[in-house]
Amino acid sequence: MSLSPIRAYLRPNGSWGLRNHVLVLPLHSALSSSARAIEDACPGAVAITHDWSGEVDGDLQRIIRILAGFASNPNNFATIFLSLGSPNEEEINAQAENLGLANVVHLSLPHIGSTKLLIDVGIREASDLLVRAHEQIRIEAPWSAIVLGLECGGSDALSGITANPALGVASDRLVELGAMSVLGETTEILGAEHLLAARAITQDIGQRIIETVARYEKSINYEGIDLRGAQPSRGNIEGGLSTLEEKSLGAAKKAGNAQLSGVLEYAEIPPAGGLYFMDTPGHDIEQLTGYAAGHINIVVFTTGRGTPTGSAIMPVIKVATNSPMAMKLSDLIDLDAGSIADGMETLAEVGTRIFDEIIRIANGCETKAEISGNHEFALSRMYKTIVSYDA
Amino acid sequence: MTSNGFDHGKRGIGVRNHQLILPSVVCSTHISRRIASAVGALSFSHQHGCGIIGADVAGIEDFFGALANHPNVSSCLIVSLGCETIQGQELGARLASANVSTKYQIIQDSGGVEATVSAGILAARHLQESYPPVKAAFGNITVGIDLCRESAQIAELIAGLSEVGVETIVARQGKSSAENFSQLMLAKAHVILSFPSPDQPASGFPLIPVINVASESSLHQGIIADFDLAHESTIEATISRIMEVADAQATIAEMNGTGEILAPRLVRST
Repeated sequence: MSLSPIRAYLRPNGSWGLRNHVLVLPLHSALSSSARAIEDACPGAVAITHDWSGEVDGDLQRIIRILAGFASNPNNFATIFLSLGSPNEEEINAQAENLGLANVVHLSLPHIGSTKLLIDVGIREASDLLVRAHEQIRIEAPWSAIVLGLECGGSDALSGITANPALGVASDRLVELGAMSVLGETTEILGAEHLLAARAITQDIGQRIIETVARYEKSINYEGIDLRGAQPSRGNIEGGLSTLEEKSLGAAKKAGNAQLSGVLEYAEIPPAGGLYFMDTPGHDIEQLTGYAAGHINIVVFTTGRGTPTGSAIMPVIKVATNSPMAMKLSDLIDLDAGSIADGMETLAEVGTRIFDEIIRIANGCETKAEISGNHEFALSRMYKTIVSYDA
Repeated sequence: MTSNGFDHGKRGIGVRNHQLILPSVVCSTHISRRIASAVGALSFSHQHGCGIIGADVAGIEDFFGALANHPNVSSCLIVSLGCETIQGQELGARLASANVSTKYQIIQDSGGVEATVSAGILAARHLQESYPPVKAAFGNITVGIDLCRESAQIAELIAGLSEVGVETIVARQGKSSAENFSQLMLAKAHVILSFPSPDQPASGFPLIPVINVASESSLHQGIIADFDLAHESTIEATISRIMEVADAQATIAEMNGTGEILAPRLVRST
């Protein structure tokens, strides 16, 4: 264990939290507004809302895994589940406890009797937990306390030249020191998977990344759709990107040059230090959800167009690919990598700034998204939610 | 029919006077909510608008269009990020051609989070001033019936509503009330009467007052305070409650702020 400047919250199962949230998590869409009401009434508590009504379909296990992983992320000091008392909710709770959720409060709507009372009880519970959360202290932590998620969204022609490779420099350095770093967005490594496969620590892992991308493309083609119709997105094209492959080659640079230690399913927790690839959608928010459910505790998000995106439980550091956007949208950008294109700074210099920013934020300084309170949530689904638009 | 309605121009006559702050993409849901709470408007969270392909692009755009054109909507402010699949500017132009009381605000063009919130608040207030509530008498209202469980009274209820000049649409194909609510919204129901499955709670929909009818299930009996009508309610009591709600009385779901939207989706996450 090398000495690190990181100070973090040690959880009972040995994992490290970079935040100390009290999370309110509704286990049914009809409980979402109660979760939000509790969040609004308790400054310091965070809530998510979603549209899952307990449907038992092909996505059930995926959604159980997402909610259990999100609840048990080490950035949470405690989670309050709002529930109806269904067997699937018990499964979510059981999985969350297996994944290390230590402080948990169950508020069951039928047990409490009404939505109005549920909100009142929730406010009281959240306030009590916030007091206990404030009693926690950060202690010296090893480099492995950092579980970094790499993300890009609203990419432009500079993404692959400035912010992404600079993030790669920071990621490589963290991996070398013993941290974990996770690349995602299967959509956005399409066409660059062979380069990642060549860096895999074993042939099997290399083969797995090729298969993961092929599986993904097949599942889209199955729908009778050519993915290249959606990627690069219209925003990307306006930003100067020509093809999906160009976008992918630039996107993969976020992961630097480190060896690839493994391939993770959506929301799977990386086992040990190293660089990993997680099979996530390119949809920014669904990807963030998968990262949080996979116990990633800090994210760096490079963007060419700019986005307010944040997470309820993970700090999300936004890095601009170009200086004009960084200046124009200064209250949602944490760091400008555009100086590389202007010749004012080298990749290594910006990489160091990103590395330093990760440590600063990991130690408790707030990101722009945390300051503005921006946190969105989305469940990633593999199956349709309706039969057809004509039904 | 004596209901107090609101004349919403081409949208029709509504039973509520909601200003809708419509996020065209998940990335703008939080900012939309901030704007809505500052001006007393209505917004909702969803996870759509980007990373969608195939039939979902037109499908979700049409769904958002239908929300903005619902008769209970007085005016609509679209809040867009700027680089998403469903572009706020185009959605705004399309919706404005249907209803002039429509504006849009783009985060990437507005100078960031706080600038978008303050510009959005101004735009929403401007819409409120330009389109003040206009009271109107109802020709007729449409009641959507969400039948997630069967009700022995339903034929009699529909006949009773018909006698007092109320049209009904029944949605029973959905796997959940949320899915049926979306169908009933597309059919421009003014008020929804919901018969949730015995194992599902009472629920709501942002733009449309939802009257929840309890079953005898232990779940429903355990949370009976969340229901507007008990399971043994008479046809007369049900019709009378529908009329009161159409006439501005809040439903329990409206008072609790219960109401999520299940936006439709045909293709997997990408």
